Amino acid sequence: MKKSKRSKMQAVSFSTVLCLLLALTVTACGSGNGNSATEPNASLNSAVNEPAETTNETNPAEEELKAEAGAKLTVWEAKEQVEYMKQLAADFEKEYGVPVKVEEMAGGDQGARLATDGPSKLAADVLTLPHDQIGQAVKAGLLLPNDVFEEETKSTMVETAIQASTYDGILYGYPKSVETYALFYNKDLIPEAPKTWDDVVAFANTYNKPKENKFAIMWEFVGYYSYPFIGSFGGYIYGDNNTNTKDIGLNNEGTVKGFTFLQSLKGILPLNAGDITYDVKTQLFQEGKLAMNIDGPWSVAAFKDHVNLGVAPLPKGPDGQDSISFSGVKSYYVNSYTAYPVAGRLFAHFASNKENQLKNFEMTGAIPANIEAGEAPQIKDDPIISGFFEQFQHSVPMPSISEIKSVWDPLKAAFVSLWNDPSLDVKKTLDQTVSTIQADLASK
Amino acid sequence: MHKKKGAALLSVIPGLGQFYNRQWLKGLIFLLVGAVGIYFIVFNLTGYLHGLVTLGEFPSRMVKVGKLTRMVEGDHSIFMMIDGLIALLALLFYSAFHVLNIRDAFLVGAARDRGEPIHSFGESLRHMGRKNFAYLVLVIPFVAVVFLTILPLVFSVLLAFTNFADPILPPAHLVDWVGFGNFMKMLSLDVWSSTFSGVLIWTLIWAIIATVTTYIGGVLIAVLIHQPRVRCKKLWRTLLIVPFAIPNMISLLVMRNMFNNQFGPINSYLRAMGLDGVAWLTNPFWAKATVILANMWIGIPVTMILAFGVLTTIPRDMYEAAEVDGAGAFYKFRMVTLPMVLFATAPILIMQFAGNINSFNVIYLMTNGEPVNPNYQYAGHTDLLVTWLYKLALNQSQYSFASVIGIVIFLLVATFSIWSYRRTRSYKEEDMIA
Repeated sequence: MKKSKRSKMQAVSFSTVLCLLLALTVTACGSGNGNSATEPNASLNSAVNEPAETTNETNPAEEELKAEAGAKLTVWEAKEQVEYMKQLAADFEKEYGVPVKVEEMAGGDQGARLATDGPSKLAADVLTLPHDQIGQAVKAGLLLPNDVFEEETKSTMVETAIQASTYDGILYGYPKSVETYALFYNKDLIPEAPKTWDDVVAFANTYNKPKENKFAIMWEFVGYYSYPFIGSFGGYIYGDNNTNTKDIGLNNEGTVKGFTFLQSLKGILPLNAGDITYDVKTQLFQEGKLAMNIDGPWSVAAFKDHVNLGVAPLPKGPDGQDSISFSGVKSYYVNSYTAYPVAGRLFAHFASNKENQLKNFEMTGAIPANIEAGEAPQIKDDPIISGFFEQFQHSVPMPSISEIKSVWDPLKAAFVSLWNDPSLDVKKTLDQTVSTIQADLASK
Repeated sequence: MHKKKGAALLSVIPGLGQFYNRQWLKGLIFLLVGAVGIYFIVFNLTGYLHGLVTLGEFPSRMVKVGKLTRMVEGDHSIFMMIDGLIALLALLFYSAFHVLNIRDAFLVGAARDRGEPIHSFGESLRHMGRKNFAYLVLVIPFVAVVFLTILPLVFSVLLAFTNFADPILPPAHLVDWVGFGNFMKMLSLDVWSSTFSGVLIWTLIWAIIATVTTYIGGVLIAVLIHQPRVRCKKLWRTLLIVPFAIPNMISLLVMRNMFNNQFGPINSYLRAMGLDGVAWLTNPFWAKATVILANMWIGIPVTMILAFGVLTTIPRDMYEAAEVDGAGAFYKFRMVTLPMVLFATAPILIMQFAGNINSFNVIYLMTNGEPVNPNYQYAGHTDLLVTWLYKLALNQSQYSFASVIGIVIFLLVATFSIWSYRRTRSYKEEDMIA
């Protein structure tokens, strides 16, 4: 009984909460909506007009930008970075005289909360989004472009980060950190990281003991972690750097080759794809039964004290090509409903500068997106971070257009079914995957 | 005679009828409420209602002033929808007030026609307190129910008739009414209809099996433990109630690991006994069987407790009489225990069935709908309608489709509940009296 009640509540709670929220806030701001729609110019406040009038093409933007009088900002930050953000907020207040309040909110939730809380004027002024969430936010008109600091951002951040924070040719983000997955290895079990998949197979043949749950290597069978079997072989998800949905590269020759190669690895990992969960591989790696684990920088803390950890780039493919991984770029974004758009820009710009990215690295281990910061000795010399950094050079940003949502499920299904059942025809299965994706795109 | 008519007619403007009846204070209050009401209807509500119909005319957009981009706020269709609904409800409340106002003038007028003395304001209040106290108290919860329960429900139903889904996201886009378009898509578009029918069928199968297994299991265990010869009854009961006492969110996540094909303890035991393990969560058939097993583990204790309660109320002498008639253990169970238990717990059975249609936790936490089904749209083999709805709304931003499914779930639950409730009523009347 209790079970059914609770589950009902969970399902209903989404809509109820949404409605309540909207209902409550609408009464507060409903009339404001109507006014501003009819007289758009009246809503441009003087603080914004001021710098606009004095804009001079030749001057660097930051000198003329002044935070709105009486501005105060709210920033959303994930739990693991709250401490860092609080220090940053204090520094910002010292320098610009704008108080900043830090609210804790999990990284993955910020995009969804922005969609409901933004228009209700309850959302933070500046928040962090992983770049694959910006497509939807931009389409809904929830983010202000990075306009004033555009040129500076483009010249100081790594190219992948810029590309990832850009949507439809407009730069929105102030890149903060980059991440990608790489090969974690237990130095006690395998002293030297294998360079190629052949080396991995050779090692697995001596090491694997399925009965004792000892395995050479594991990764999760979802599109994100399995992408190297597409990208490294010439396959791709959408054409034109993952922006052209008319061109799906998931059943081209390269992808077929990659999936066929993937099937050849079943011998060293004789398990069902569904059994390799994050929990399972994390535990095996901690226990020293799993020699190699494909994982990202967010897991380093979980392993550091348990295993003799090394991080290396992913093994090279059968033709000697580098394995291309998906990378994620986290950037600060300014909420388009903010009451203090200039202060918001200043904060996002300040928070993403070189010094603060290095500070973030020291406090939380986030890998800088700033080129100069990436060359700082503490990053270059860190054996673990440099492993990720090396892999990052061979990565492509995850697609940020929201049509990527049509891909993840069918792609996962393709990986899982081709892995579980090696007798399946690769080309046929992938054709099916592509037609599923196309049907889904067409149904919207 | 003419007074009641006159009063009622004058009351078209609230308060005038009361003035005519010489109830000055009451009339003044009515007039004020009426004036405020009309004011809001004319200046605010009509705008909101218009918004409910159009769902906005200007989307928000970005304007560039010099180097700075500024957002110009436009209409937010979803907010307008809620605004409009609130306005609609307010209008209904006002109409109710207006009708009551006319009725009041009419009744007092009629009393005057009969030559009865009219109440003073104080007397009216006292009269109201005496005669309509229940209604007065009920007004508060009624208003709360209307705004906190009915409004969100109507809102979520209305979403099904809009195109509020991924590419059309406010505030940069305006949402439009599309009538039954989403329902048609759900039935006619292949990608949607095949998923919909597949998930619907599995939901029904799941609800039936999950209800029957937990019910039979619970009753059987209760009867077994209730046997006079069984010792340590308390111990058994405590042990069996433990699964229910642990938050099922935790136990389900633990079970997810227990049923892991390669690393889970269950397959390890099986292998230790020389059997091949079962692909519990990765094979579509076994995944379905596993969620039903897990559901039994959580659900049986509930029925068991209920059955215990009923068993203790069955009079001993019924069994003694049965024994005198020469009934064996099975016959006693069939003729005495089972009807009594069934009679007392049948309404619970319906509620469990309805609840199982919406069994979110077991599926979402245990399998998350997996194993993946390449032919489904955003759903896996074990997804129920309700978990599919969740995925559509939260992961895919397909709000209008999610809301279509919400309506389907509501229809299902309502139909089955009413249907089976009727059946138990007739069952009760025929069998128990005889």
